[in-house]
Amino acid sequence: MSADAKTWLERIHRLPLRERVRVMNVCGGHERSITMAGLRGALPANIELIPGPGCPVCVCPEEDVYEAIQLALNEDLILVAFGDMLRVPVNVKKADIRSLEQAKAAGADIRPIASPAEAARIARDNPERPVVFFAAGFETTTAPVAALLAEGTPDNLLLLLSGRLTWPAVAMLLDSEQPGFEALIAPGHVATIMGPEEWQFVVDDHGLPAAVAGFTPVSLLAALYSVLRQHLEGRRFLDNCYPELVRPGGNVAARRVLAQTMDVASATWRGVGSIPDSGFVLNADFRHQDVHQHLPRYRDDARKRAGEMPPGCDCARVVLGKIYPNECKIYGKACTPRTPIGPCMVSDEGACRIWWAGGIREAISPGRYTVPAE
Amino acid sequence: MCLGIPMQVTAVHGFIAHCEAKGVTRDVSLFLMQEEPVAPGDFIMVHVGYAIQKMTPQEARSAWELYDEMLGLGKEAPQGA
Ligand code: SF4
Repeated sequence: MSADAKTWLERIHRLPLRERVRVMNVCGGHERSITMAGLRGALPANIELIPGPGCPVCVCPEEDVYEAIQLALNEDLILVAFGDMLRVPVNVKKADIRSLEQAKAAGADIRPIASPAEAARIARDNPERPVVFFAAGFETTTAPVAALLAEGTPDNLLLLLSGRLTWPAVAMLLDSEQPGFEALIAPGHVATIMGPEEWQFVVDDHGLPAAVAGFTPVSLLAALYSVLRQHLEGRRFLDNCYPELVRPGGNVAARRVLAQTMDVASATWRGVGSIPDSGFVLNADFRHQDVHQHLPRYRDDARKRAGEMPPGCDCARVVLGKIYPNECKIYGKACTPRTPIGPCMVSDEGACRIWWAGGIREAISPGRYTVPAE
Repeated sequence: MCLGIPMQVTAVHGFIAHCEAKGVTRDVSLFLMQEEPVAPGDFIMVHVGYAIQKMTPQEARSAWELYDEMLGLGKEAPQGA
């Protein structure tokens, strides 16, 4: 840990805070930095850092993944998706194909990509076949998808869009009876794109301290110090601890291409249900590139257990910050990165996967809010 | 996916920037940087192949230090072990 990070830690230790304060983050990148730098173990025991809804792959609707698998298996097309999506399991009978990876092994033409630009390139290289881009992600990923559309794409490129906005999930938690946290660390790159103003409601409507953070331990600790001080002193404001990248109004060009290509609508989050104003959908000008306009028959929301997490998996509560990953009964037992049961153990941004990579091996008894030893 | 990677621009052709970071070169889209001209020598934060903001060399360096630390840790705690 750098000298600057140590200084912030000392400042936090000097705060006269006696009660428990739970601080939620809503970004897999934040959670990764916190876990890998061992910040939980270095903080006073009454300060809890809670990973919240920060993993777009984890909340991508199960029925969307199922649809992508069926499209790839049954149609002569190329399906492209970010690599993380390939191992996400759907809820089907044991003998059935339960992930894009398995569909690929069974002969479907499924290609992992690292950038939306690759989807356009593959479509240009294969003009005779439809290319379906299964695009799941938060604002940081959906803005590049919007850029791709705004720039102009080949006619054979279709979208299965599962883009989500982050703040409505936090709003839903704060509107519920037990949000489960007293302060928020807001996601740095979401705010880089959309502007920090999106998070002002946490302060104005709910009276909670909030600070936007970047991804280094220094930026995260500065944000933590800010929200703890706000909590202590009864002051509330939205702090920006990542001013280098997060500017008022966000990235103007990114917001413009999002508005130009997409609308915002209610959307389903896996295991959670529908959240108002939380999903990106193609707008009237770009709807002709929606895969549902061309191949609607692969959508089957009526399946048993459609939309749920896999049986036995507690990802829904992990995603909402109701439990820590290792409070899931099968964490590290039946469920490890090698044999993932739920999406939180599949994605690099899933809290279960991050905690496992951070060396946390023990499951703890459910219902206990204990900071694990690191 | 939200972490992003800082890179340094070596050349710009329209909406494409040739970039370099730690010996790795990549073509990065500047389509989201239309309000903020990018020139060779600049550092940018790259997310899924798109620049989302400019940054200073110091910020790029501290972000890279973070990744080095994480990658080092990743080796000590192999996934799926
Ligand atoms: S440990 Fe596995 S089964 Fe349990 S919540 Fe996490 S991903 Fe789901």
